[in-house]
Amino acid sequence: MSPNTQATMKTSTSVPAPSALLEAPVEDRLAAAIGEIVRQAPDRLAIVAQAGSDARRSIDYSTLAQAIAALEAALDAARPVGIVARATRVESLVVIAAACGRQHVPVAFLADDSRDLVGELRDWVELDDSLTLPPAPAGGRKRLEFETVPPQVIVATSGTSGPPKLVDHSWESLLAAARLSEQWHGLGWLLVYDATRWAGIQVWLQALLTGGRLVVPASRDPDVVARALAEEGVSILPATPTLLRRLLASADPSLLQKSVLDRITLGGEAADAAILRQAQATFPKAKITQVYATTELGEVYRVADGGPGFPATWIGKALPGGARLSLRRDGELLVRLSRDTAEIGTGDLVERRGDRYEFTGRRSDVIVVGGAKVYPKRVEELVRGVPGVVEARVYGLPSAVTGELVAGEIVLAEPLPEGHTPESVRAAVLKACRDGLEPHSVPRILDLVKQIATTPAGKTPRKPRV
Amino acid sequence: MKPVVVAVADAIHSVLRDTGREARPIEPPMLLAADLGLDSLDLAQTIVLLERSLGVDPFRSAATSRTVRTVSDLVSIYETALTTGGSRA
Repeated sequence: MSPNTQATMKTSTSVPAPSALLEAPVEDRLAAAIGEIVRQAPDRLAIVAQAGSDARRSIDYSTLAQAIAALEAALDAARPVGIVARATRVESLVVIAAACGRQHVPVAFLADDSRDLVGELRDWVELDDSLTLPPAPAGGRKRLEFETVPPQVIVATSGTSGPPKLVDHSWESLLAAARLSEQWHGLGWLLVYDATRWAGIQVWLQALLTGGRLVVPASRDPDVVARALAEEGVSILPATPTLLRRLLASADPSLLQKSVLDRITLGGEAADAAILRQAQATFPKAKITQVYATTELGEVYRVADGGPGFPATWIGKALPGGARLSLRRDGELLVRLSRDTAEIGTGDLVERRGDRYEFTGRRSDVIVVGGAKVYPKRVEELVRGVPGVVEARVYGLPSAVTGELVAGEIVLAEPLPEGHTPESVRAAVLKACRDGLEPHSVPRILDLVKQIATTPAGKTPRKPRV
Repeated sequence: MKPVVVAVADAIHSVLRDTGREARPIEPPMLLAADLGLDSLDLAQTIVLLERSLGVDPFRSAATSRTVRTVSDLVSIYETALTTGGSRA
């Protein structure tokens, strides 16, 4: 955000003044924002955990500030070379991030599936929900002698398209996409993402930097999420299309109607036209934005025009954030973040449809059947359009005969439309695929399931169920 | 577990049904391609269905190199795999 836009902004009494916030060094901003909110409104609600369940608990900003101060003092005394956040509670992760930032201690957030990578962080100290540094081993602990400038933040990739790996970030890049202007202050944010992954960290940083309320549902169960939305007055829902689709398909409609959502931010996967239409119909007042971001690149662009993909005119032009998009010959989207950086392959394939480029899927998701390519996302879009189907996923099964074979899972509507049976819907799906797809793209294995599994990052998995 | 010959016939029936073709009686001497009209995709589907019902995929191991021309070829490959316990899924 440029200094000019900041200067014109009014300050508010209940949320931190952005100017005060921006004067703080970038690694200090989370602690500074929380401190500022406590000065203005000490008992302001910061986090609602286990929302939508009987175990609901809430944490206010002054509780966070006290815990940050205590951990800061401990870090200052011990000077560990780095902290691995092992905590499972969001409030603990916030405290660890804020205290490490302020004390210039590098911090790593490792999601469950990337815990094996901890070996790469030798000598770092693990911190759990107790927020207490473990006693130093005999012979002492390696101390941080020189301040890392700037202090690093390590986040693991979600491993959607390969094994998870650690990515090194600066506080600058972590906060680059945060919206600090006044219109973003004091809002209710729903956290359906894993709090230790890039997307989740973005949500809790955004909420707490702006005096907002972070609402963490007790689970990803659609009814629990819908209850958290309605009961906690959530106004912003960041989610993957997969999680949103599941919410719309399976949550109690009366709970969804009670929500006061005014913004949905989709990311992590490409959203197709159908889910955009469906979301708009369920939440007519909500503005729907699609964010294209990766753990490695951070946020590349946002689209808010309601269409899938992005306008074709964007190719080759500098976008608002400074990034430039281009295409490899095979349709892979390439991103150049700035003039000084190299072009980076995203692994996402796009195709021109009318005046837009739409995503056909990830390169690694392509199923190869007897040498012919199948884009699972396209098959899924077709399958989801069949009456009686609410959710679908398509993946490749290894085959000794054809290399791979297209397989799929569908979730049926409950109740089914009149005159339909599970068998008739399944037959209709296969017929729609035969009529609309090349023979090799038609799913050969099609299972009826109660629920489509999602990856820990909230995406649709492309691997056979284990 | 159902007899292999029944499992094979069931799998082929499923393939014909799922691909919108007419059901028909299946006899061991029938040629998979010429008599039943099964192509490589149909065979690949049949193998996945049989792995589910019989618990083995004899085609996964390189040892299975014999040609599969008839229904009874398919039956004997699975019978051999089940008795030798090969390539259990």
